[in-house]
Amino acid sequence: MRPTLDNTNVARRLLAVACGAIAAVALTACGGDKGEKADEPDFARLDAFPSTYIADEAAPVLIRGATVLTGTGEQLNNTDVLLKDGKISAIGEGLKAPKKGMVVEGAGKWVTPGIIDVHSHLGDYPAPSIESSQDGNEMTAPNTAQVWAEHSVWTQDPQFALALAGGVTTLQILPGSANLFGGRGVTLKNVPGRSVQDMKFPGAPYGLKMACGENPKRVYGGKGTLPSTRMGNVAGYRQAWIDATAYKEKWDRYHLNGGEEPDRDLQMETLAGVLNGDILVHNHCYRGEEMAIMMDIAEEFGFQISTFHHAVEAYKVADLLAEHNVCAAMWADWWGFKHEAFDMTEANIAIVDQAKACAMIHSDSAIGIQHLNEETAKAMVAGQRAGFHIEPRHAVTWMTLNPAKALGVDEVTGSLEKGKMADVVVWSGNPFSVYTKAEKVFIDGNLMYDRDNPERQPHSDFELGILDAEGERLPEGGER
Amino acid sequence: MNIKQLATIGALASLAMAAPLALAQSLLIKDARVVTLTDQGTLTMGDVLVKDGRIEQVAEDLGGITADLVIDGRGKVVTPGIIAPHSELGLTEIGAAASTNDSAVQDVSIGAGFNPVVAFNPRSTLIPFNRAGGVTRAVVVPSSEEKIFAGQGFAIKLTGDFDSVTDDGLLQKIYFGEYGAELAGGSRARAYEQIASALAQAKEYADNRDAIRRGEWRELDFSVDDLEALQPLLSGEQPVLIRANRASDILQLLALAKEFNLKLIVEGAAEGWMVAAQLAAARVPVVIDAMGNTPDAFESLGARLDNAALLHKAGVTVVIGGPGYAGSHNSYLSRQGAGNAVAYGLPFEEGVRAITANPASVFGLEGGVLAPGGVADLVLWSSDPLEVTSFAELVVIDGKPQSLENRSTRLRDRYLHPKAGTGHGYEK
Repeated sequence: MRPTLDNTNVARRLLAVACGAIAAVALTACGGDKGEKADEPDFARLDAFPSTYIADEAAPVLIRGATVLTGTGEQLNNTDVLLKDGKISAIGEGLKAPKKGMVVEGAGKWVTPGIIDVHSHLGDYPAPSIESSQDGNEMTAPNTAQVWAEHSVWTQDPQFALALAGGVTTLQILPGSANLFGGRGVTLKNVPGRSVQDMKFPGAPYGLKMACGENPKRVYGGKGTLPSTRMGNVAGYRQAWIDATAYKEKWDRYHLNGGEEPDRDLQMETLAGVLNGDILVHNHCYRGEEMAIMMDIAEEFGFQISTFHHAVEAYKVADLLAEHNVCAAMWADWWGFKHEAFDMTEANIAIVDQAKACAMIHSDSAIGIQHLNEETAKAMVAGQRAGFHIEPRHAVTWMTLNPAKALGVDEVTGSLEKGKMADVVVWSGNPFSVYTKAEKVFIDGNLMYDRDNPERQPHSDFELGILDAEGERLPEGGER
Repeated sequence: MNIKQLATIGALASLAMAAPLALAQSLLIKDARVVTLTDQGTLTMGDVLVKDGRIEQVAEDLGGITADLVIDGRGKVVTPGIIAPHSELGLTEIGAAASTNDSAVQDVSIGAGFNPVVAFNPRSTLIPFNRAGGVTRAVVVPSSEEKIFAGQGFAIKLTGDFDSVTDDGLLQKIYFGEYGAELAGGSRARAYEQIASALAQAKEYADNRDAIRRGEWRELDFSVDDLEALQPLLSGEQPVLIRANRASDILQLLALAKEFNLKLIVEGAAEGWMVAAQLAAARVPVVIDAMGNTPDAFESLGARLDNAALLHKAGVTVVIGGPGYAGSHNSYLSRQGAGNAVAYGLPFEEGVRAITANPASVFGLEGGVLAPGGVADLVLWSSDPLEVTSFAELVVIDGKPQSLENRSTRLRDRYLHPKAGTGHGYEK
């Protein structure tokens, strides 16, 4: 039987996370996953670099009388949203203002779940992009599944704060795409941190970055090693999965029967974590043909691909994506920078969505991540022009709930539902407008960004004393 | 021919494909919001009459006047066509496929003399796609990976016709700042010195042309081709587009421009706002990426979203190009950049001007405004032209409605409902 995201360990663990705990308590503390799955070896090693993110204790927040896009397909007009103890506490009309806490007058404002970017390199390719900080891609072998993107994250990358000002509350940092297996991605809460652990999304599963197509074959073919062709790519994937299957069996046997403990292998550990459903595959893959091949490889080795990224041709195989329960992460309109990005249609996201596959916007860009609402708007309109009936209440899922699904965190964030993390954006108006800005961004119920209050606008260490020794990078009132 | 068609919202896009529309000699858009960018300002509801490729009249109500084609513009907005100020349209097809790129050369003997105009391909797929995005004209600029002098730029209209180059030898492109320093051997000082000495030697060459050609002169550092190519800069006929982002780099360029009497345009200008008063005083315009707000280099630490607004406020002529992350393929996204600039304080009309009238005036091109007698390059937008949810319903170049079909729409229509089987191979 094909494993799906619904029946993997990931879902089990996230339920454990959701068991959770008030915001003041580190969510991993609530259960932990060792106990959950003592029946299996621990390949994911979630506890090796555990999340130390602790949301501040959040006073209640009532957003009153706003237009609410819930992320579950609804648009609620003149509606209140109550955030309490870091969670969505209630959504409705006439909610009572909390005695202590904040009231946000929502007239004319729109409210959405926090934006989630499934594909970012912030921290790994930080600004300024000088040579010594290009830490996003271990381009030394076609399989570097042993590297973890989190180990490169420079938390002081000033671009995190810019993304926050664009409404992004959760993002996955992925390794680059030069390798067949690029390594592990990490899901972060977009909060200031002294360490990457301070930013790690508690309980979120790891991702494994894989790459199809031009990049691996160019990088390694150029060095005279496999792969130099797309068929070489596929041979590389399959051999690795054969090895990983053997590795997993060895550990499973040891776990069941005891005996001599096998040697650990970091590369195999990550792949075995995919095979047992703990680690989610995020596959850079432009072409329809290659997506179809990759889904067959997943079938052959019994794992599930979470999401095809940069899926410029997802529309060509949208029905297959739906059938295989694989998401596609896409741009609104980028194209032509390489051959596999030549067959772009602006209706890509809409066509994938209409075929009932899980569709989403993604950025892969420090600029794009600040404007995902605009990018979603363009994709929505392209869908409408194609003749599909797509409204904002649905399109909003392309930047919220669907990326949450892709990251395996949809049980706990990605929509405005009672009990979910209070990751919420208050917009100055309809978010699908170029003129609209994220005014207030809440993460776990805390006001992490307030456009009206410079005191609640984070800036990284890098920004202090830059351009002005006594001031900040941009003078007060400067719009970032 | 006397075909009167009152287009409806939905039918307009397909109408634009119809033969009678393409052959219409006169065109009347009625009751649209008209952003003229002339002394006429913006008409809340107005008519635009186009005849024989020119704009005949713009008025609040042209009354009983009729035309071969009449379009109902109610609820829609007419602007001049977008002019892409810094593109490689027609010089590139696929970024990473070297064989499809003609914008740069790896030949050390060619610098300022390089002119890629003969490589221009009007049948590039980028042209119909950007045209559908509302781009009617573009400045095409070479690039360089070896020398700070990239060569000469030209201008095109996006008709896709073989004779669509409108202005050859339009400008010189030079790199200063971080990239210029890298190309010049490691320091801005060297890049500056190279530019200054090239200009000085171009002058020397002009004054002693015959002796130099006879070989009766000291050996110069630049080829005769390069020095010839720099002559129109010295006479102030041709603008020179020089990349610089850091405030201090921009000031150095202003000094250079003063010394050689250059018609300077600064490209990049991420920290332009810090020296906006000096730019304004020197009447030097800028071509910026209005969405480029990350401090992605040490030369652009001051990058910010209200750069355009601050520059404009100081009196600088601002031209907005496509976002740097998207490249020539998405040149039309300059309007999203302009929309963001407006969101961060640039007045709306200035936002439209920054992608139309300003590039026209800065580079000396036709179009850019809706002025009687002027070339009829215009776009009818479904709504606010700077909004991400609006789109071009009608694109007119030289008075002729253009096709809005392109590979993106063709692929969309082929795969609207993807399914198994061989059928897609027979879809048009």
